[in-house]
Amino acid sequence: MNAIETIDLDIYYGNNHVIKSVNLKIPEKVVFAIMGPSGCGKSTLLRALNRLIDLNDNAKVDGDIKLYGKSIFEMNSIEVRKRIGMVFQQVNPFPHMSIFDNVALGLRLNRLTSSKNELEEVVKWALKKAALWDEVKDRLNDLASDLSGGQQQRLCIARALALKPEVLLMDEPTANLDPIATEKIEDLIYELKRDYTIVIVTHSPSQAARVSDFVAFLYLGDLVEVGSTEEMFERPRERLTEKYLTGRIG
Amino acid sequence: MLRMIKEKIFLVTVAFLSLLTLLPLFHILFSVIVKGLPVLLEGGIGFLTGTLAPPGSGLGGIAPAIIGTFVLVFLSSLIGLPIAIIAGIYAAEYPNSLIGRTTKTLLQIMLEFPTILVGLFVMQILVIPMGSYSALAGALALAIVMMPYVATSTEEAMKEIPFTYREAAFSLGLSRFKVVFRVLIGMARKGVLTGILIGMAKVAGETAPLLFSAGGSSRVYFNGIDKPVGAIPLLIYNLIQQPYENYHEIAWGAALVLMIIFLAIFIPIRLRIKEVKL
Repeated sequence: MNAIETIDLDIYYGNNHVIKSVNLKIPEKVVFAIMGPSGCGKSTLLRALNRLIDLNDNAKVDGDIKLYGKSIFEMNSIEVRKRIGMVFQQVNPFPHMSIFDNVALGLRLNRLTSSKNELEEVVKWALKKAALWDEVKDRLNDLASDLSGGQQQRLCIARALALKPEVLLMDEPTANLDPIATEKIEDLIYELKRDYTIVIVTHSPSQAARVSDFVAFLYLGDLVEVGSTEEMFERPRERLTEKYLTGRIG
Repeated sequence: MLRMIKEKIFLVTVAFLSLLTLLPLFHILFSVIVKGLPVLLEGGIGFLTGTLAPPGSGLGGIAPAIIGTFVLVFLSSLIGLPIAIIAGIYAAEYPNSLIGRTTKTLLQIMLEFPTILVGLFVMQILVIPMGSYSALAGALALAIVMMPYVATSTEEAMKEIPFTYREAAFSLGLSRFKVVFRVLIGMARKGVLTGILIGMAKVAGETAPLLFSAGGSSRVYFNGIDKPVGAIPLLIYNLIQQPYENYHEIAWGAALVLMIIFLAIFIPIRLRIKEVKL
């Protein structure tokens, strides 16, 4: 079964048609990359998947998105977002909260743990899963803003994982990080796909090639081509894809 | 060379003009201290704990007015702060809705509204029906004066939070209520608290809204929210209209006490609020 499926998905911002009849099938426990040049609608598409796009009053979504076969528009948006976690391009841990509280926040406010012990266990588990535990275990009460950029992004990953989502959305998670921090996050993505379905948006074809199993190429709101990463990078079917991969459009 | 001289002249002029704007502030501080401090020293602790001396001789104390000021600031915060903070958040959350826009416009008008009219309004709706001045009426008038300061600074602080944090909070499956009241408000706390302090310091020094509402008994201690109550600014206003020398001295002493209360609310807490790095 597909983790996520979009059916004739159209998205409009006011009169702008930013996503044009996109059909995607995202299998379970893979890394699925959405790549394309800036402004092609990648982030918009990603925000539709967990209904974060609802925050934008101008946005209008047509078509359907299914999470394990069930339309997310028939579910409560809060429920959808608990099951589909998200990590953002702008590294955004809550700067006024401690490292611990950042990870614990979703658990506490959604009342997902029943005791202090359990809460601490889940926070520890999430930080370990995000490969951050060893670096922060002695300073859990420090402010999140005291961490380095790469650490902050892994903290955001831990914050999302703490809710035990089935799918993790990543919107250009390394765009603001240095190469070493980027490598760490990419290694982490590789680890995480054993347990999660990951949808990552990137404007870098080389990142898509490094981390993903499947890739969709989006250009000006159209889905140009979708398939296994290996195949697309070796034998793109569309001329536009080839042009993009060889750096002639971007 | 000529350009550098011009630059120097410009700099000196700007420095002089900015000093000029600060001059009244320092003059107030200076004259209040020079005239008030001897009164405080002469009156001693009794000046803070006693009641007003009879006309013509001695100082006595201004305790009823001091306590009245604290009671009024406390009560008006109790009435005004919750409403103001919620109004500010509403205006920030729904900036395009009719109520949101109306709230914002009304707040801006209230900010500049003549405070004596607030006093008149409270007299109409509370003092006349109750048949007496009261602490409650004074507090209501001050709450109305305080609210726009708190609400506008809350609104501005909420609006300054980058959108990405809002997205992050929603992405954790939180309701809008939790996003705002459990996550974002914490990030806006410096702005909100600054607004609260400005509002409190402002009403601690207000006179006009109290004239027709609080009543201003300078010899009777606070004895219930339905009874008249004194306040330091009101006391100063009353004393300097009297023909007695000692009352003028008491007024200077009271002015110093008011200034100390004002600065004591303002400075330390303002320094202690930690900035949230965004």
